Order: sequence, then C-alpha cells, then structure tokens
Amino acid sequence: MAKKTVLLATALVFIFVVSTGVVNAQSARDYISIVGSSTVYPFATVVAEQFGKTTRYKTPKIESTGSGGGLKLFCAGVGVEHPDITNASRRIKKSELEKCQSNGVTEIVEVKIGYDGIVLANSNRAKPMKLSRKDIFLALAKEVPDPKGGEKLVANPYRTWKDVNPSLPNIRIEVLGPPPTSGTRDAFVELAMESGAKKFDWLAALRKKDKKAFKAVAHTLREDGAYIEAGENDNLIVQKLDANPNAVGIFGFSFLDQNTDKIQGSYVDGVQPSFDAIASGDYPLSRPLFFYVKKAHIGVIPGMEGYLAEFTSEKAWGPDGYLADKGMIPMPDAERYKYRADVAKLHVLTALK
Amino acid sequence: MNKADLIRAEEKKTPKRTIDVVRAGLAKRYRAEGRFKLYGLGAIIISLLCLAILFISIVGKGYPAFQQTFIQLEVFFDPAVLGHENLSSANFPGLVKKTLRNMFPDVKGRSDKRALYQLVSTGAAFQLREMILKDPGLVGKTVSVWVPADDDVDMLMKGHFDRKMSESGGRLNNKQLAWIDALSRQGKIEKRFNTIFFTSGDSREPELAGIGGAASGTVLTLVVTLILSFPIGVAAAVYLEEFASKNRWTDLIEVNVNNLAAVPSIVFGLLGLGVFLNFFGLPRSAPLVGGLVLTLMTLPIIIIASRAALQSVPPSIREGALGVGASKMQMVMHHVLPLALPGMLTGTIIGMARALGETAPLLMIGMVAFIVDIPTGFTDPSTVLPVQIYLWADSPERAFVERTSAAIIVLLAFLIIMNAAAIILRKKFERRW
Amino acid sequence: MSPTTLLAALLMLSAAAFYFGRQRAFAIAGKAGGTRHLHSRPTYYGLLTALWCGIPALLIFVLWLGFEDKIITNLVIADLPNAIRHLPENRLNLVVNDIKNLVTGNIVAAEVDATMQAGAAHYRSLQATSNAALAVVALSLGIVGAVVVRSRISRTLRARNLVEQVIKYILIACSCIAILTTIGIVLSVLYEALRFFKAIPITDFLFGLKWSPQMAIRADQVGSSGAFGAIPVFLGTLLISAIAMAVAVPVGLMSAIYLAEYANRRFRDVAKPLLEILAGIPTVVYGFFAAITVAPFIRNSGSVLGLEVSSESALAAGLVMGIMIIPFVSSLSDDVINAVPQALRDGAYSLGATRSEAIKQVVLPAALPGIVGSVLLAVSRAIGETMIVVMAAGLAANLTLNPFKTVTTVTVQIVTLLVGDQEFDSPKTLAAFALGLVLFIVTLFLNVIALKVVRKYREQYE
Repeated sequence: MAKKTVLLATALVFIFVVSTGVVNAQSARDYISIVGSSTVYPFATVVAEQFGKTTRYKTPKIESTGSGGGLKLFCAGVGVEHPDITNASRRIKKSELEKCQSNGVTEIVEVKIGYDGIVLANSNRAKPMKLSRKDIFLALAKEVPDPKGGEKLVANPYRTWKDVNPSLPNIRIEVLGPPPTSGTRDAFVELAMESGAKKFDWLAALRKKDKKAFKAVAHTLREDGAYIEAGENDNLIVQKLDANPNAVGIFGFSFLDQNTDKIQGSYVDGVQPSFDAIASGDYPLSRPLFFYVKKAHIGVIPGMEGYLAEFTSEKAWGPDGYLADKGMIPMPDAERYKYRADVAKLHVLTALK
Repeated sequence: MNKADLIRAEEKKTPKRTIDVVRAGLAKRYRAEGRFKLYGLGAIIISLLCLAILFISIVGKGYPAFQQTFIQLEVFFDPAVLGHENLSSANFPGLVKKTLRNMFPDVKGRSDKRALYQLVSTGAAFQLREMILKDPGLVGKTVSVWVPADDDVDMLMKGHFDRKMSESGGRLNNKQLAWIDALSRQGKIEKRFNTIFFTSGDSREPELAGIGGAASGTVLTLVVTLILSFPIGVAAAVYLEEFASKNRWTDLIEVNVNNLAAVPSIVFGLLGLGVFLNFFGLPRSAPLVGGLVLTLMTLPIIIIASRAALQSVPPSIREGALGVGASKMQMVMHHVLPLALPGMLTGTIIGMARALGETAPLLMIGMVAFIVDIPTGFTDPSTVLPVQIYLWADSPERAFVERTSAAIIVLLAFLIIMNAAAIILRKKFERRW
Repeated sequence: MSPTTLLAALLMLSAAAFYFGRQRAFAIAGKAGGTRHLHSRPTYYGLLTALWCGIPALLIFVLWLGFEDKIITNLVIADLPNAIRHLPENRLNLVVNDIKNLVTGNIVAAEVDATMQAGAAHYRSLQATSNAALAVVALSLGIVGAVVVRSRISRTLRARNLVEQVIKYILIACSCIAILTTIGIVLSVLYEALRFFKAIPITDFLFGLKWSPQMAIRADQVGSSGAFGAIPVFLGTLLISAIAMAVAVPVGLMSAIYLAEYANRRFRDVAKPLLEILAGIPTVVYGFFAAITVAPFIRNSGSVLGLEVSSESALAAGLVMGIMIIPFVSSLSDDVINAVPQALRDGAYSLGATRSEAIKQVVLPAALPGIVGSVLLAVSRAIGETMIVVMAAGLAANLTLNPFKTVTTVTVQIVTLLVGDQEFDSPKTLAAFALGLVLFIVTLFLNVIALKVVRKYREQYE
C-alpha cells in the first residue's frame, strides 16, 4: 500500500512537471540572443554584462558555438526563435550569405569590432624565441623547399629549431596550436605561413602563376608530431607550456597578456607581441573580429539598439575602453568611426567584396 | 619383511586419502586466499588514492576562491556627480573614481589615475547604484562601503602574483603595489567571505562572477532529468525483464538500449537540437530541454542497471509470490521491485552523476552560454555547473583558475548530497539472501 | 484558473476519486460480507476510479495547452490592423512576440502604441476565456469519469485486471522510448551524413587510412590534404578505450569483490559511495589532471627509460579515463555479486572451498551476466568520453597502436568539427555527422554480438 502511494505520487509529480513545461514553453523572449565564435565570446560578454547592468534591459544571452555553428543558427531565419546577433572570428562567406538570404534573412549589418593578436609563446624559464616568418614556415610546413637547393619540395626534414635557423636553440620543434577547424589556425596560416613561404623567390613566383598550388604549400601544416593540434582551450596550452619549457604555443594575445608571469611572447620578425605593437601594426600577426546583426530584429527584440550603441561606444571599443583591458586590439580611429557610422545608419551588407 | 616395510608397502598400494591431498595443498591455498584478498583491498586503495589526489588538487586550488579581497571606500554620494533626475542612470563609475581620487589626492597624470581606478572592481559602481536605488535618501551623505577589489589585486593579496615581476610586465605596476600597501596599512583592504561567488550569476569580471545562476540551472535541469528518467527507466526495465516475451522485438529493444549507452553524448545534443528545438519548437538554452536531452542520455544507464538488479532477484521470490496467488503485476510490484530497488538506485546515482557532469550535449541546445540573470523557471535561459566550469576554464583571467576549482568543489558537493540521499534510500532497501 | 492551479486541482480530484472508488468498493463488500467477496482488493477499485478520472482530463489538458497558443495567436492576428496583418510571416512573428511580451509584463522593444495595447488586451481576454473553458471541461470530464466508474463498481468488476492493463501499457510505452530515441538519433544524423557522403565517397571514408581534415575555411583558400579516412580515428578510440578498460576492469572488479565478499559493513558503507564519486567528477577535471599531471609524468619517466613518449600520449588519457570508469564496474558488479544467493557460497564452503575459491568458481560465474553488463556500460562510457581526450590526447590522427603516441577519438573529432569556425556546410563539419553515424552503427553491431554472447553463457542460479 505504502509503495503504491509512493509510486502514485511519483507518477503525479511526473505528469505535473511535464505539463508545467508545456505551459511555460509559450512565454515570449525579452532578451537579446547572441551566438557565435568562442574567440569573440570573451569580448562580447563584457559588453553584454555592461549593457545588462546599466540599462533596464535584461543581459543578453551569449552562446559559444563557433563561428560556423553561429552563422548557421543566425541564417536559419527571422523570428524570435532565431538568434539576433552572431559573433564571428572571420568574415561571413558568400555561401553563408546566400543561405541567409534564401531563408529570409536579407538584411544583415556587419560590424567589425577590432583585432585579436595571434602570438607564439614559450615558458619564461626558457629563452625567448626570435623567429622570422620564414623560420615559422620552415619549421611547420608539411613540405618545404629542398634545403640542398633547387626548386623542388621535400617532406619537412627539420627536427630541431637549430636545423631551421642556426641562431635558434638546439631543441626539438614542438608547437602546440589550434586544430584545422579553428579560425585562429586559419589566420595564422594566412599571416605567418604564407608570408614565410613568399620569402622563397620561386614560391613567390609560383604564387603569381598558380595561386592554388602555392597555397597548398603554404597552408598545410606538418602532421609528423612537430605541430600538435591541442584543441581550443588556450589556458590548457599555457599550462602545458609551463610544464614543458621546450614547447612553443600558438594562441590569442589575451592569454599571453594574463599569464606574463609564466610565459613570454616570441619575437616575430624582431617584434615581441605587446598591446601597442599589435595595435600599431608593427607585430604582423593579428586578425579581425566581427559580429553580424539581423536588421529585422532591431526595434522588435528589446534592447537591440542599446546593445549596438554600447558595443560601438568609445568606452567599450576605444583605445582606452574596457575591451582593450580584456586584450582586444582596437581598430584605428578612422575604421572605428566608419563602423560606428555604419551601425548608426544600419548599413546593410549586400555583397561581399 | 618387517613391520615397517609392510606399512610402506601398504601405503604404496592404497591411494592417498582425499584429506591428505587437501591438507598438502592447504597452505598454498591459504596463501592464494590471502593474496586474493590483498588484491581486492589494493584495488580499493588505489581507487581511493586517485580520489584523494583529485580532491586534494581541486580543494587546494579552489578554496581561496571562497574568499575575496574587498576595499573600504568612504563614498560621499555627491549630488553634483549624481545629478538629480534619473538616479538609475547616474554616473556611478564617476563617483567611484572621485572617491578613489579623494583617497589618494597626490595621484596626478592620466595613466596614473587609470592605474588607480583599476584597483577596484567595475562592480563597485553597480553596488553603489543599488544602494542608491534602495535608499535615495543617501544622496548627499558619506557612507563607508566595502567594495570588491579588482581580480588582479585579489590575486596579489592571495599570493598568486610575484611582486618582483611587477615592473617586467606583471599585471600590477609598482605604484599600484604602493597604493595597495598603503591601503593595507590603513586596514582598508581585507579578505572576506565571498558571498558574491554563491549568489550572483556569471560575469566576465572574476571578482563579480558567481555560480548562483549555474547552480540554479543545474537544479532545474536535474529535477527534470530525475523526474523523467527514474520512473521511465525503471518502468522500461520492468517491462523488458518481467513482462516482455522473448522475441525479436524485445531483442531489438535490448540491443538498442545497450547501444544508446555507447552513443557519444554530443550526439544526444544533435538529437535534442533536431527534435526538441526544431520539431517541437521548445526554447533554446532552457533547463527543460537540457533535462529532456540528459534524460535520454541517462535512460540507458538506468535501464541496464535496473535490469541487472531485476535479474538478480532469485526466482524463488517470484515463485513464492505466484504460489500464494499474486498476479504477475502484483508479484513484480510487491516483491521483485522492492528487492531490486537498491541496484536500480545505484544505476540512477551513476546516471545522474553523469548527467550532472555533462557538457557536450548541452552545447548543441544552447546551454553553453553566458547568462548573468539567475534562472527561476524551466524555460528561462540558463546554464549548468559543468558548463560554467568549462567556460571559466577557458577564460584568460588568472582569477578564474581558482574560481573554476571552487565551482568544481560546489559541483562535487552537489554530487555528494545526491549520493547521500540515494545511499540512505539504498540502505533502507538493501538485503541479502 | 491558471493552468498550474488547474493541474493541481486535477491531481487533487484524482486523489479524491481514489478514496471515492475505494469507499464504494468497501460499501459493496460490506453488503456482500467482507472484501473477500470482491473480485479485486478495494484499492484497485479506487485506482481504477482515479485513473478514469485523471487520464482523460489530463489528456485534454495537455492537448488544449498544446493548441491554445496557436489558436489565440491566430485570433489576435486576425484582429490586428491590415497593415500589420499583411507583413511577411516572420515579421509578423516578431510583432506577436512583442505583444506577448506586453502581456507577460516584460520589457518591450518599441514604443507601445494603441494597436499593440489593443492586441495585448485582446490576447489577455482570450487567454482568460480559454483557461476558464479548459478548467470547466477538464474538471467536468474528470468528475464524469469518476462518477461513471463508481456507478459500475460491483462485486464482479475485474478492477485489478483493468488497472494492470493500464500499467502494462504505460510500461510498454516507457520501453519504447529507447526505440524512439534511436530513430531520432538516426534521423538527426542521417541527412547531414548523406550530404557528407555526396562530397566524400563512402569507401574513402570507411577504409581511408589518413584523417586530416585540413580543408579550406574560406573559399579563396586551398584545402590541401583534406583526407577523411576514418580508420585512424576509430583505431584511436579503440586504443584509448582498451587502455581505459585495462585499468578499470581489474581494479573495478577486484574492488567489487572485496566490497561484496570481504569488507565489513562499515567499510563498505564508506568505500562504495566514495568510489561512486569518481564517476561524478566532471570530466573537465580529469582532463586537466591528465594533461597537466599525468601526461608530463609519463613523458618524463619515458625519457628516463629511453622511450620516446609524446607529451599527448594515448596512455595518459586512457589511464585517467580508466580511473573515471572504475565505479561503473565496481558499483554495479558489487550489487550483482551481492545479489548472488548466500546458499551458493555456503554450498561451496561446505565442500571445503576457501573464500577466494568460492568467489572465483561459484560466485563470479553466477554473477557473470551482470558483470558483463557493467563492463559493457563502462566500455560505452569510454567510447563516448570526450573532454579527457580533447585535453590530454590531442587531435592528431595517427594510425598506430603505440600507447606512447598521440591518437584521437571519434568523439573528440565530432566535437571539434562541430564547434569549429568553418562554414557549416563544408565537408569538415558534415564529417562529424558521418562519424557519429558510423560510430552508432559500429557500436550497434558490437552490442548485437555482446547480446548473443551473454545470452549463451547466462545462467540463473538459485
């Protein structure tokens, strides 16, 4: 009898909860929904928090889904069940823009928010590495020009940094970096590897002649264990570097900024990564960050204008703004003004240049 | 032939008695017995050792987060700074800055001032705002307020920063160190119990970040999961084990259940996205959906464990019950189920423990998110503790390291409470025959 | 009456119906000369009444709420001014969202104008009407159900059989959820997987020996060696799972045996829950532990012994994963061993067996099906585990069985591919779905074999 009562009670509670779920599922959305890149996430969240705490609106919800996943959700359509804004660590692709348009998301506002520096770093206990982009290319490409000379490619023969460049230390090449699905990797390959490859005259000539063949050389990282795909958790890379002084890591500038007592940035072409060096463009490796706004949702989802205004205000993305404190590299003044004006006018992205 | 020879011959002729064979091997068997027991004990000690190491490393890293450095400010709620009309959007950051300038009047120059402002958390302004909104009468008065210090100051006070590093690119410069020393001489900076950590939602400022939101989301999600998965799991197991005739259909279900247990959890996330969000149109990031997905994920574990428990109930119990005239349903409900309950509870504990620590499936249904407001209903956007841990573990700020560990401690506390409840239940039902 | 209160009311009504029906049964039994003259025990009559009172009313309740919103929304839209009504579908949705925000008292985006106010008022009144109607319908249905059943209660009403029938249907429905889940998974993975196989031939995927999704992220890039051969990935999964099982099975099984057979009650009461905590520690923690503590340790001891160990070795991930799944083996096996009847042990002892002999030769074979079940569960967990491998074993897909090398697993690839920055339609992302599907099929196949094996060796002891 007692057991039966327990059973009955459980069943009743069960039905109760399921039904309350059904009841509640119909409430409307009164907050901004943002999805997208995990690289932009730490910056967008600061703005969202400021916005939520200083206005009467709720704090926007920001999901970390990756740029691709974010754009897919964003482009799925107009309406409350779809996100209002997506963050991206790369520009929207043509195919994605078309997908958006075919789903009725015809008016998208593109906002560039600043730059993220990409740094190479190693443990403080070792000497700082003084690399050139050519060194990076030779150390990490899957196929490199034959060291014996001649215009042909061989599988990367270099085992130690000293093999690559006699001025570098005699330690095994061990680089922890992002996987091929990452935008950081994409930008790194573009900025460091490609310009490293261009240092070889015949590869530069190849680039003019057959762009695809050149990129196939420059964009493929070696897979023999010297380059270790370490996942997207940059803190983990920092800790692994701390544990292994011989390794070099590739990650975003903000992680270097926060861990200067453990790791040091490697010189690239004679410049050590620092806030000012990246902002002035002296340090060569940085990439732009974006977010995309659904114009149809502006004025309908509560707080959209306010969030945009907060993000594009000087106190957020300016050189002394709170985003800079978090490690984002601000855009030059002219570019900032342009994008602020674009946002104010809700300038719609029509076609990709 | 003498007598001794006779006996020897006799012994040769008659086979050895069993007892002698047994005795001869006895010492060896006892040694094997001892070894076997030792292996068992060793196995447990190894496991517990691993647990201890994990616990020590987590608690060692995490316990400082239960304290937070606060700085005492003498705030004059200056009507000139606040203005009169709209107090909620008044310049509270300006008020904090003015207070700091008053405390260190000899700080000049833009960059030095900026460095000074960085000592206190941006949350100080929000705190003052709330004070004023609660009691507008404070305008024009001077109040002494403890506000949270910036995370870098907090890290310094907890000894995570090396002071020698300060000029060579550390997070705090020498002037800031001097100000902090001045404050601590005046007793205006101290570590206090960190209530913010338990009550507030997520934040990008470590000193303002709390697990209140994630904990509340976890409770909501797990309530849904437990309420759905335990009854359904037990019911399914009872049907499969006790009622279903053994045919292809039940084989199919059985293989299916076993297979679902091996499906990577992120695939359940894809399922949740496809079915609950896109098909049924349930809201994203809601504990309801999270609970449903985790239910589907834990069901196989509960079903498998429950079936094992049912199988281990001796047939004599069933036959006894049937023999005195119980129907099959009565036999199961009154006799078999209570006896199998401890095993079912074990399965449920393990299943819930897994649900409690799961991150990957929630990614696809939008629960890996930055959520500041604390969820109160089953459809409010929310996140859960393991996701919070995952997100914090990925944050660049150093102060998040200890908060990550502290959040893990809280998660483990959750786990222990859940386990304790189930153990009490299990002990009530457990029996050996 | 708000839906929540109505629900509570319905539940109360059912509870009342239970006593109502039972009372009736007692009354009839009293006349007939005791409850033994009834077909079923009085409780069953009560339950039957409660079920007939509650189930139809709840069904109506759920269906009503399911459609209520749609209908009310349409009615409200129909009353909106033409200009708004003729907006495109999705724009209209946003306007309706605003109206709903207004109704629930949330902050709205735009200035509230008269139309919106009117719409909101309309919505509110419709909702009130609908709720009232629902309350009347559901409650009267419940009462009618209860009254009808009560009137039919007699000595010969086969109440127990009817109740048991209902319970059985509920049980069947519960066990079918597993099937529905499987169908759901296959459906949600299949479409994208097929798109992947359109881009990459299925044979290349299944039999390819090279996994290197270095494909272009942007259109103007060249994806050089975009190889999608799944074998290294599956082999990596196998390797790491095997290492994990090599840790978890011996340790877990011996722990279970000790707990069930040797340990005294106090020790068991403490140790078992402690072990179970191992399963609940978030995998992120294990991941950090593996990556920061175990992996460098293995690497350093390897270099002392002259072995070349990668800093992201499969061994580190496997060992730590093994620790995590110990409780899966130990706790469940402990329960199963505990459930082996004492008579079996006593029989073995009486034949002169030592404890360990009795365990090895009598108890373990008797408990084997349950133990195999727990091991299967542990294997499943090992295959499905993600975070530890992501953090400790890296992502490089080497075709190797050397535990000191870096390998990757299916789950890790799925996660990194799904949350990456690449375009969502690229084969790179779609590969995640294909991996999921193939993993699903492979484990299904393994489970079929396991079922056959278990069935063959399963014995029931008494």
